[in-house]
Amino acid sequence: MSLIVDTSPVEKKIGGAKVRLVKDDISAMDIEAFVYYATSDLKLGSGHGNAISMRGGPSIQKELDQIGVLGATEAVVTGAGELKAQYIIHAVGPKFQEEDMERKLETTVLNSLKKADEKGIKALAFPPMGAGFYGIGLDVTAEVMLTTIEGYLKEGNTGLKEVVICANDSRDFVPFRKRMEELR
Amino acid sequence: MSTQVRSYKANKVLERLTKKVNRQIAGTMLACVHCGQCTDSCHYVQTNPGDHTFVPAWKADRVRKLFKRHMDWTGRVIPWWVKAGSVYTDEELEELKDIVFGKCTNCRRCTLNCPMGVDFATMNRMARGLLVSVGIMPEGVAVVSKDQWEIGNQMGVLKEDYLDTLEWMEEELRSDLDDPTVEIPVDKEDCEVVYTINPREAKYDPRTISDAAKIFHVAGENWTMPSEGWDMTNFGLFSGDDDLGGAVARRVYEAVVRLRGKKLVISECGHGYRSTRCEGPNWGGVDLPFEAESSVLTMLRYIKEGRIKVDPSKNDFSVTFHDSCNNARSCGLFEEPRELLNLVTSDFREMYPNRAENYCCTGGGGAMSMSEYAPMRLKSAKVKADQLAATGAEYVVTSCHNCVDGLNDLIKHYKLPMKVTQLVNLVADALVIEPAKASVVVEKKPEAAPAVDETPTVAAALPLEGRKILVIDDEPDIRTFLSTVLEDNGASVLTAGNGDEGMEKARAERPDLITLDLNMPGRDGGQIYSAIRADEDLKDIPVVIITGKPELRKLIYDKDVRRPEGYLDKPVKEDTLLTNVRKVLEVGADDVN
Repeated sequence: MSLIVDTSPVEKKIGGAKVRLVKDDISAMDIEAFVYYATSDLKLGSGHGNAISMRGGPSIQKELDQIGVLGATEAVVTGAGELKAQYIIHAVGPKFQEEDMERKLETTVLNSLKKADEKGIKALAFPPMGAGFYGIGLDVTAEVMLTTIEGYLKEGNTGLKEVVICANDSRDFVPFRKRMEELR
Repeated sequence: MSTQVRSYKANKVLERLTKKVNRQIAGTMLACVHCGQCTDSCHYVQTNPGDHTFVPAWKADRVRKLFKRHMDWTGRVIPWWVKAGSVYTDEELEELKDIVFGKCTNCRRCTLNCPMGVDFATMNRMARGLLVSVGIMPEGVAVVSKDQWEIGNQMGVLKEDYLDTLEWMEEELRSDLDDPTVEIPVDKEDCEVVYTINPREAKYDPRTISDAAKIFHVAGENWTMPSEGWDMTNFGLFSGDDDLGGAVARRVYEAVVRLRGKKLVISECGHGYRSTRCEGPNWGGVDLPFEAESSVLTMLRYIKEGRIKVDPSKNDFSVTFHDSCNNARSCGLFEEPRELLNLVTSDFREMYPNRAENYCCTGGGGAMSMSEYAPMRLKSAKVKADQLAATGAEYVVTSCHNCVDGLNDLIKHYKLPMKVTQLVNLVADALVIEPAKASVVVEKKPEAAPAVDETPTVAAALPLEGRKILVIDDEPDIRTFLSTVLEDNGASVLTAGNGDEGMEKARAERPDLITLDLNMPGRDGGQIYSAIRADEDLKDIPVVIITGKPELRKLIYDKDVRRPEGYLDKPVKEDTLLTNVRKVLEVGADDVN
């Protein structure tokens, strides 16, 4: 892959909502809500979890501690402390070549979307779910996420007006852009 | 044939093994004749005589047996003869983890001593990668890897904090050089040099950044630092995760290309240099359209070209040099640092063995992040401690941030009268700067008498004047050291030998800042920290953690309380302490003069 990668935003209209692909820092984004790929013990931990703690303050972990634990593929909404976002959806997706990974990933994405609707959220950002540290291939992540999001928005039973895929870097961005181009 | 049921993870490990064995690994799997040449080369073996589980060939056989059983015909036909074997349970995978992460720093010294060319470290790295792919790894490896994947650097430094540190260092430098035009340029395009660093520099040791900036400035270099892709370290080298290796390397390369930089300069870091300059293009699948070099070469070139002038008498203490394994053994970078060292210091003493034969700092291969293996690591560090002590030097110099931490830890453990520093600090300290401007005078041999500081002495206010600081530490020597440094700089210092006494004094005196040790009898530093943050009257007082046990970070960072304003590892250097305290108290550089 070339070292010169176009990461300018890509946008598609699906149902009554926009789907956008951007390269950004998800916990610093100015968006109503974003998804954090959580562990079932709901400890924010390192990576994006570290950034959420540092930027958002201790109230988020405190809220999570009151919830306790979460089962596989489930999602839960908390406030976002001092972040620009108002809410964080913590979703427990599959990790490290787990069995039945694609189906679990699909359910996790779907549960996140449903949680957003339950909360009346209009704009929601996703990271590349399970890619990177947790080792799910980017092609798989892009395919499962965008197929699930597309299906959900086309059903029309949603108040979501904007779904954003937030890529960390060009490596994340390229497979999503390729799959975005196939969206009708 | 065994009918034992294999766990899901064990199956996945074996599946991936068949994909990861390339020609180089296959050679390593097949070539070992168990001659024992590797045995004495390993610092773990030397410090654990009689324990065969540290012998490189034995450790390699834990991985080799899988290859023999699942990929080599001899293992299918005569498994008992070639010692072929498989792995079935998650517990066996955990045992393998303790070997490949806990009993080897991937230093490659055994590789160098193998007459058959067996590259155990490469095989060991592959085995680490197999385990990481199923989520089996030391907790510290997981934390650091996730930070690097998701935040973009292995210490989780946020972009705003990185940029803030650069700005702060720029202010310090302007004051230091008395020149308001000095810059640490960020994202400047079309520069000769794009400078990338280890996040440890931004987080714990920003003086290395300002020293590098000083050198670039005095050399008249057209340089910049990127706002993204600035971390040239790469935990993929340690974790065996080639995807992480490729992603991190690409971010750095893309930054250079985006800024149209001509040369990538990598600050002093052994694994960063190896990853970014040597391994990264393979992991990332790219050809580099620019040059990449270690800052050691850059500094040496500036002196040879006459772009900077140095005076070795400014560093008039005795020094020895520790070769980083990645720099020396894996990349052949060992003569240039010595040449540079001889130009900027006046009493260099060689350490034996040295260069490619040198012993690991014992903190390599990510070992500093794996606190569960710290006792084993420090035991093995006896070899290095003996090497250091034999030089009798006051300072050990190394071109690797990982080695700085590893050496500091073993120096403290073995109570050696020695300090650690890097070439960038020594070069910056040896600079001869023309007054009034940063122009450069060529001087081939620095024979001149030491430069006399002709700056008029002014009865200046001390930087911490009027500040009240509470030092909480159970070690009397540390309390004395911290108090002396802070008082010498104008602070009024209170001390407490344990947490409860510290809380009492904090409530009674309301200091401007508290320095807090973590490992103390009675209530530990973590409990005291929580108590401070929970106390309405004390919660806003800035706290700087100063600890000799990095693994105790979790006492602070696992709590849902505001993070401390500063964090320093012992032994703490005087200038590091001061710069951090000043930063926390927002005492600008101008206040010093």
